[in-house]
Amino acid sequence: MNEPGENLNSDVSLPKAKIRKTRRSWWLWLIPLGAAALCVWFVYRDYIATGPLVTINFQDASGLEENNTQVRYLGATVGQVKTLRLTKDNKHVEVKARLSGSATQLARVGSVFWIVRPEVKLGAISGLRTIVSGEYVAVRPGDGPRTNSFVGAEKEPASEEPGALHITLLLPSLGSLQEQSSIYYRGVQVGEVLRYQLASDSRGIVLQARIRKEYAALVRDNSKFWNAGGLDVRFGLFRGAEVSAESAKTLLSGGIEFNTPPDTGPPATDGAVFRLYEKADDAWKNWMPVIHLDLPEQAPETEQPKQPNQSNPLGGKMKGLNDE
Amino acid sequence: MDNIVACETCGLVQQVDPMPKGAVALCTRCHFQLVHRKPNSRIRTLTFSLAALILYFPSNIYPLVTAEYHGLHSETTIFRGIHSLFQEHQYFIAGLVFCTSILSPALKIIGLLFISITLNWKGWERARTWTYKVIRVIDPWNMLEVFLLAISVAMIEMGRVATVHPGPGVFSFTAVVALTLLATLSFDPRLIWDPPEEKRRYE
Repeated sequence: MNEPGENLNSDVSLPKAKIRKTRRSWWLWLIPLGAAALCVWFVYRDYIATGPLVTINFQDASGLEENNTQVRYLGATVGQVKTLRLTKDNKHVEVKARLSGSATQLARVGSVFWIVRPEVKLGAISGLRTIVSGEYVAVRPGDGPRTNSFVGAEKEPASEEPGALHITLLLPSLGSLQEQSSIYYRGVQVGEVLRYQLASDSRGIVLQARIRKEYAALVRDNSKFWNAGGLDVRFGLFRGAEVSAESAKTLLSGGIEFNTPPDTGPPATDGAVFRLYEKADDAWKNWMPVIHLDLPEQAPETEQPKQPNQSNPLGGKMKGLNDE
Repeated sequence: MDNIVACETCGLVQQVDPMPKGAVALCTRCHFQLVHRKPNSRIRTLTFSLAALILYFPSNIYPLVTAEYHGLHSETTIFRGIHSLFQEHQYFIAGLVFCTSILSPALKIIGLLFISITLNWKGWERARTWTYKVIRVIDPWNMLEVFLLAISVAMIEMGRVATVHPGPGVFSFTAVVALTLLATLSFDPRLIWDPPEEKRRYE
């Protein structure tokens, strides 16, 4: 090793370092710039590209959780419940939910929001998944102008069926009938009960029912409706006891059956009123009218083009009714 | 004396000719950079810690973990996680998570910014030294839970029943980790006591 003193003077003995050009350092400022751009994008995505904040007033919001409960439509998540608050009169819960940007069109006048809960009824179990995953808010879009304020429905509203025939039935007492009880024609389900209420003079029940579009032609002005639910027990002197039920399902959840006499009357119009008999005359069950139906081949969702034939004589009228 | 430099990597003592601006000297033996001070130290520390400061906010606002359990969706930010730990009376763990993931990165970022901004100010040397000491102490305690997260994500992948995914906050979180790391690495503590006119030579 050289002495330190020598080292200072004799530069020749030391190797020389190489010299190379460096890059400029301005590009370092791109890093905080990129970070800021990322933040701007976060803000854009969360506050500008989202859908509207809708307010829904529910009678009962039990099961909903802030920042957790989802809003779903056709199985897809379209939003999230943000806050739950009591209204000023302490009678409703004001639920604020943030819809996603693609779901903006769901918030319209006529849209219905309801809470899906597990439900076990005679004849049907629904919302089974929500036992584990918790309640969620479901939506059915309306077709009015855009709005952000809604009144939540108590339960799932009966699905709209374009072209269905709506009839009213009068009966002395409800019996085993309930909402969504089925209406049968020769044992085939052709419609269902929508809702019922006491008559205004409280002497009977007024029941709204719906017959599906493709079966609407079966209902004539002289059709007879009778209660098909429950057990029919008859005692006779010579034949002993005779027990009959339409089916196990109507035994539990109630049902309505109808038939039309062979000399068919004019087709029933929307809103036609019928009497619902407790029991069918034996003769009614044997009626065999010839009514031509325009039934879809397989899947019910394939829309058949409307034809002005006998099978669908009410098409025009019902279109007007749905616009209400 | 000024033009004789020892290579920091291989230790070879060598002579450096006067350099034009924007050039670096390379060791003749191992080809590593020969420097009196780390190159661009101040501006690197400044930009890295500035970027870390910007990303610090989204990393704490956005959820780190999103869990799906049978369709039940839950998202957790760091702060909410600490809050629920407190409510479960896990004070020690809650304090630890708070210190490592909220307090220490904030202190570190602010400290590095402070040093790199005041580097040319005379009379602030003591404050800079003290700040640097604090940074050195808290450095190993930074952002431990990113690794915890990696482990929990690997463990709780149960298919349809329950899944845990890193949330949108995790990207900015890891970016903060990496940027503070780079900022401390590129800082040369010898600059703290260099007089300003000498510093200009190293920039």
